[in-house]
Formats: sequence, structure tokens, C-alpha cells
Amino acid sequence: MNATALAVLVYPLLSFLLLGLVWPLRQNGRLAGWISTLAAVASFLGSLRLLWKVLEGEGVGSATIPWLVADGKVIAELGIHVDGISASMLVVVTLVAACVQAYSLGYLADEPKADLGRYFTWHSLFIVAMGGLVLAPNLLQLFLAWELVGLCSYLLIGFYWRKPSAGRAAVKAFWVTKFADMGLLLGLIVLYATTGSFEWSTPVPAAWAVVVPALLFVGVMGKSAQVPLHIWLPDAMEGPTPVSALLHAATMVAAGVFLIVRAYPLFEAAPPLLLAMTWIGAVTALVAAVTAVVQDDIKKVLAYSTCSQLGFMIAALGSGQLMGGYFHLTTHAFFKALLFLGAGAAIHATHSNSIHQMGGLWRSTRFSAVLFIVGAAALAGIPGLAGFFSKDLILEELLHAGQYGPLAMLLLSAGLTAFYMTRVVAIAFFGPASEGAAHAHESPPSMLLPMTVLMVPAVLAGLAGPLFAGLWNQPYHFALTPVGGLATLAALSGIGLGVLRYGTRSWASPLPEGPRRFILSAPIDSFWLAAWQRGLQPVARGIGWVDRYVVDGLMNAVGWLFLLAGEKVRALQTGRAQDYVLGVLMGVLAVVAYGLVGAA
Amino acid sequence: MAAWIAFFALAVVLVGAAVMVVSARDLVHTVLWLALGLVTTAGVHVALAADFLAAVQILLYSGGVVTLMLFAVMLTRHLEGATARMRSESGARGVVVALMLAGLIGASLWRSDKLGAKAPAMEVDTAALGELFLGPLVLPFELLSVLLLAAMIGAIVLSRPEGPPGSVPRLPPRVTPPGGPHE
Amino acid sequence: MNELLANGPGLGAWLSLAGLLFCIGTYGLLTRKNLVAVLCSLELMANAVNINLVAFSRFHGDELGQVFALFSIALTVAEVAVGLAIIILVYRQRQGIEIHELTDLRG
Repeated sequence: MNATALAVLVYPLLSFLLLGLVWPLRQNGRLAGWISTLAAVASFLGSLRLLWKVLEGEGVGSATIPWLVADGKVIAELGIHVDGISASMLVVVTLVAACVQAYSLGYLADEPKADLGRYFTWHSLFIVAMGGLVLAPNLLQLFLAWELVGLCSYLLIGFYWRKPSAGRAAVKAFWVTKFADMGLLLGLIVLYATTGSFEWSTPVPAAWAVVVPALLFVGVMGKSAQVPLHIWLPDAMEGPTPVSALLHAATMVAAGVFLIVRAYPLFEAAPPLLLAMTWIGAVTALVAAVTAVVQDDIKKVLAYSTCSQLGFMIAALGSGQLMGGYFHLTTHAFFKALLFLGAGAAIHATHSNSIHQMGGLWRSTRFSAVLFIVGAAALAGIPGLAGFFSKDLILEELLHAGQYGPLAMLLLSAGLTAFYMTRVVAIAFFGPASEGAAHAHESPPSMLLPMTVLMVPAVLAGLAGPLFAGLWNQPYHFALTPVGGLATLAALSGIGLGVLRYGTRSWASPLPEGPRRFILSAPIDSFWLAAWQRGLQPVARGIGWVDRYVVDGLMNAVGWLFLLAGEKVRALQTGRAQDYVLGVLMGVLAVVAYGLVGAA
Repeated sequence: MAAWIAFFALAVVLVGAAVMVVSARDLVHTVLWLALGLVTTAGVHVALAADFLAAVQILLYSGGVVTLMLFAVMLTRHLEGATARMRSESGARGVVVALMLAGLIGASLWRSDKLGAKAPAMEVDTAALGELFLGPLVLPFELLSVLLLAAMIGAIVLSRPEGPPGSVPRLPPRVTPPGGPHE
Repeated sequence: MNELLANGPGLGAWLSLAGLLFCIGTYGLLTRKNLVAVLCSLELMANAVNINLVAFSRFHGDELGQVFALFSIALTVAEVAVGLAIIILVYRQRQGIEIHELTDLRG
């Protein structure tokens, strides 16, 4: 079992080392892309085999090697922990990664070779890191891998490094998530201080039972883009679209959800935190959905949509039902990746991100348009498609938990989701013919093939419900309950509203000008900026002043004192032999005088 | 009584010569006054019944050392001029230190109670010294010869002119110091 | 007093003479500028020490004092030989033997 699980990590690791160390290979760009893609495919096949074995009940367990041994006591361990969750998550990660990498070969074909080589090197590293995160046997390794995928995110967002906005977005993503990771790190420290281990199964003493998971959740809010720490995700769309699909929609942002699933024994012991999670998730889902409605940039729409769906998952986990959140994580990974790749195809065809520049794409790129629409339908929750089942499960779980407020907010979000996806599809594919769309060509097969592959799970993953229930040892039977009916109604009415709104061929904004302006001005970003400028900077400046003038001043004063003393003492060293003789004589005189006095 | 007369005669000559050594303006005079002081010291040794030591003193010091010094003066005087400047800013310093030293020596002598001791009737003769040197003290004595040999070789190496052996040593170029000739 | 006169100069007298010589030598050591003159002052001081040794030897009735004085003389001779060689070397390199011009040790 370990060999199978390790193989999943080893292929991309070898690819990363090969591309990282052998620079002619990396400079070659295209060849590097093939190597990396093949490694990802091999990794995917390995993880499929692993999942198969796990489903047969084989090889579940963990294998670790001691790390950081002090005083004969093992402080931390590295290794792999294989069970249904990690095996299924690995399949999701490697499948999306393989599709995205193959897609990148076509999408980024015109980029400079050296940039391309670097791009695929980071991609290989990302698979290693994400695999290490998924297979982590304890929270410390999970944290290490967590930071590694954060690094990959930073590097890949900044792929178009000649663009200043891309660099700024990379730095913003890095700092916001790093800010949140401070919470995660503090949580780990408190966890180790109170329980003496990094295991998620060790119960924390009652006094800290809320503090530890709350600190961990701060890190989750950063990584999984929950309000108000979601501000980096829309900016991260500056990166190449495949990167957005893999890291910022399907896998990396879901790491936070995965962490909660993994460390759920800790979260379970903190009911107030669970309640807060439910509300934060619901607020995120709603706020992001509203924001997505007014965006004109196709990738921004999808980014806010990702925020919104992550809110669904967090709300589900908060209601105490792991299965729904985790199920939605996997289905979302497939159809959101498909959506991003479809958006990438549209951007590739029109060289613009704005949906208004894509009008009429239906006519020129029909195949990728169909793929995009399938993804949108899955996201919207059309019955039978993947999103329908998982979203329905979440809403039912909330109903069971009695969380009616969040339930209502999520239902509204589901409706809004259907509406904004309809809006995007309507404007981008059936809108007024634009100049971009007139010259558009269908994407190359290297892009269409991975999209087609992804479409299969995006359509069918919803049927895997019993499989997931088996992983959790829970009964699963699908029935169209009243809640499910409400959700379907919300989705259909959202679509219907969209069709009504845009069927009349009026392409104006769905919201009045005032609220639209307000939402587009990114009020939460402004809040953080103000907090940074008015709150943090003066404090930092004050501390800087103390450091520069008090601490350094003290040091300088001491140094200056010794310099001065040295200058003065230096005068004694005249270099004249007779002055030294004088010194010797004075010493002799002093000794003799002391002897005389002492003898008296 | 005669012993006292001899002591004072020796003391006056010795101190006078010493004062001249440290105060004479002319370097050659300094060395000559030193020679006088060393010969007088030989007299002191005789008065203290150390005849052999007196002989060594005259042979080595007055003969060897003074001659060497005169050579050194001759070798360097054509540039330096014959005079060693006396006046200097460190004169007061020397007086103060010398007085302090004298005070300390005086004080320690004053406090001692063994100074009036009468000399025992023992006469140290040369034969006894010789037996000491070749008897119990033979090892230090031989070591001393090694030291002298080393000093001799060192002096030769230091003062040998540069250049291949056998070549005629060049006289150093005559350079007028920046401040002009001395006094 | 008569007894003192009859006994001749005692240990204190000789030691005082030597001490006086030593002080004069010290003064010369500190004030002379010519290296040869400095060496002369050193000789004076060494002489004072020798007188002390001989005086102690005489009044303690121990010939080892004379032995020490002999060793001291030999050492002084060696010192003078090396010292003069150094002076000649200095002169050759510096074209002068003014001790105040040798300030290479200055800090």
C-alpha cells in the first residue's frame, strides 16, 4: 500500500527534480511540459489504483518515519496516511492536475520557452506538495505542505512577471494567506504545547478546546477564501487560467476544507466555533454570489463563484456533516476546473477577459462553448449533474442541524449562482457579436481533450454519492426532499430570471448603478487597506522608531564609547621606546612601593 | 678611616662620571666618561675584596665594551655629528622618575636594620671562584659560553652589509635630514 | 660613631652608592636621544647592580654573589654586542640613530 501511495508522490517529485536541476531541459519549455504532464498522468493512474485498493479494504493505515528527534523523544513525524478520504482526494487532485497540465501545453504554447519550463516545474512541485498535504499523517506535515502549496500559488500567480499587476496580485495572495497562516501556526504551537503532539486525534484540554481549532480556522479562512480574508482570490486571477483552474478553484483553495475534515475531532470539541463556521460559510456564499453578479471579467465571476461554493462547504462542515462538505469539494473541483478551462478557451479565442468582448462566441467555438455550458449547469445545480447532488446534500444537512438562517442564505446563493452563470453564458456566447469573437478560432485539441475528460466527472460525479457514503460509513439514499425541491426551484428560477433578463437582448447590468458601483469598489479590500494603513503602519512605524533610535541608539552609544576610549588609549602608544620604558619603570615603582607599604 | 677615604674618593669619581655620562653633549665624551665610570667600578670591586672581578671588569667592560662603543660612534658619527642632544622635552620626566626611584631606594635602605653589619673576615680568593665555576656551577658556566657564541653570531649577522659575501660594503648614501644638520 | 669610622664603610654605604648610580642611569635612559648614549646609560645601571651583588657577597661572606656578578657582566657584554649591531643596522636603514625617530610601534 505504501509503495502505491508513495508512487503517487514520487512521479511528480522526480519530474520536479529533473526539471529543477537540469536546466537545459527546463529551458526547452515544451519538453519540460511533456515530462511534467506524463508524471501527472502517471500519478493519476497510481492514485486510481490506490483508491481501488482502499475500496477493497486494503492498505488503509499510516506509515511514518521519525523527524525532529530530541532527547530520545520524537517531536514530529513525516509519512503518509492512507484512507478513503486521502485516496479519493488524491484522485481528484491528480486528475485535475493532469488535465490542467495537458491543457497548458496548448494554452501557453506562445509563451517564452524559459517561462514555460519554469511553469511546469512549479506545477510538478505543486502536485508533490498537494499530495503531501492530502497524505499528511499529522498536522505538522500538513502545515509544511500547506506552506509549500502557498508558495506554488505565489509563484504561479506571478507567471506573467512582466505585468506589474500580476506581481502585485502574487504578493497580495502571499501576504493575505500568510497573515491567515499565522493563526494556523499559532494553533499548531498551542496544540503542541497543550497535548504534546501534532496529531489531530489527541483531545485538547477543555480550556483550550475552542482556542486551538479557532486558530486553525483562521488559517482555513485565508486559504479557502472565506469572508473577510477572501480578498486575495479574485486578484489571483492575474495568473494563467489553467493555474486558476487547478490551484484557485479545484484543489489548493479546498485545502482548508480538507484540513477541517481531517482535524474534525478537534473542531468537534468546539460547538461555538462550528456555529460560527456555519454562519461565516453562509455569509461568504451569499456575499461572493452577489459580487459575482456584477463582475464583467469572466475569471472574476468564476473566482467569486469559487468563494461562494467554498462557503457552502464550510457551512456544511460547520453544521457537523462532513460528508456533504467533502462531497461538494470533489464535485466542485471537477466542474469548476472545467469552467475555468472553458473560460480559458474563450479567453484564448478572443484575447480578452471581458464577457462583453466575447459576445457571439457560440458561433465560432461551439464545442468549447458546450463544455462551458455543461460546467455552468453543473454549478448551477441542474438536476442530474454533479453540483445538484452535493449541493442538495449540504442543504439537507443544514436542515437536519436546524440552521435555518444559513439555510436560507445558501438557498438564495444557489439561486444567485444559477443567475450569474446564466448571465455569463448569455452574454459571452449569445450576446451581441463582438470584434473578438469574429476572429475567434476553436481551441487546439490539446486544450479540448482535457476539457472533455473533465466533463465526464463533472456530469457523473454526483452519482458517486453512495461511494462517498461508503467512505464515511454512512447510509446514503437519494430522495428529492422538500429542501432539494427548494434548491432545484432556486436554481431553475435563477436560470429563468437570467433568461428573462437577457432573453430580451438587453445587456445592461442586472443591478442599479449605485449598488453595482459599491460592490465593484471592493469594500472589504478597502477595509483591509485602511486597517493596514491606519492601524498597522503607525504601530510599525512606532516600533521602527524605537528600534532605530532607542535600541540602535544604545548600541551606537556603546560602540561610540569604545571608539572614543580607543582613541584616547591610542595616544599612550606613542611608538617611542622611552615612553614604554617609563611605563615599565612606573610599574616597577608601584610594585616596590606596594611591597614597602605592605611590609610596614 | 682609610677605608672611608677610599670610599668617598671612589664615590665622588663614580657619581661624577655617571652624571657626565648622562649629560655630556658630545657622544665621544659620553663614552669616555663611561669608561672612567667602569674603571672606577673596578676600584669599588677591589675595595670590596673582589680582585678577580675587578680584573674582569677592566678587561671586558673598559677594554671591550668601551672600544666597541667607540667603533659604533665612529661608524655613525659622520652623519650624526659628534653631539647627542641633551635638551629634550622628556628631561623633566627623567628627573621626576629618577627622584621617585631614589626615594624608594632610600626608604627601603632606611627601613633595613642590617646595613651596619661588619664585614666578616672571609676573603674570597680567585682559586675558590675557579673551583666553583668548574665544580658545582659548571653547567651554567658552559651555558654562558653558548649564550656568548649566540650573541656573537647574532651581532655578525645583524651588522653584516647586504650583498654577496666578499663584496666591498658600500657606504650608505649621505642624506641630509629634512631639518638640516643637527645643531 | 667612632666605631662606625673605624669599621669603614658598611653595607648601607655601598648600597647607597649603587642606588645613586642606578638613579642616574635611569635618568639617562629616559632622556638621552642618541641610541649609543642610551646604551651607555643602561651600562651604568648594570654596573650599579653589579656593585650591589659584590657588596652583598662581601658582607654576607658568600662568594656566590661574585659569581652572579660575573655572569651579569658576561650577559651585559653580550647585550652590548647585539645592541650595537642593531644600532648599526638601524643607522644603515634610517640614516640616523635618533631614538625619537623610531616610532614604528605607534598605535
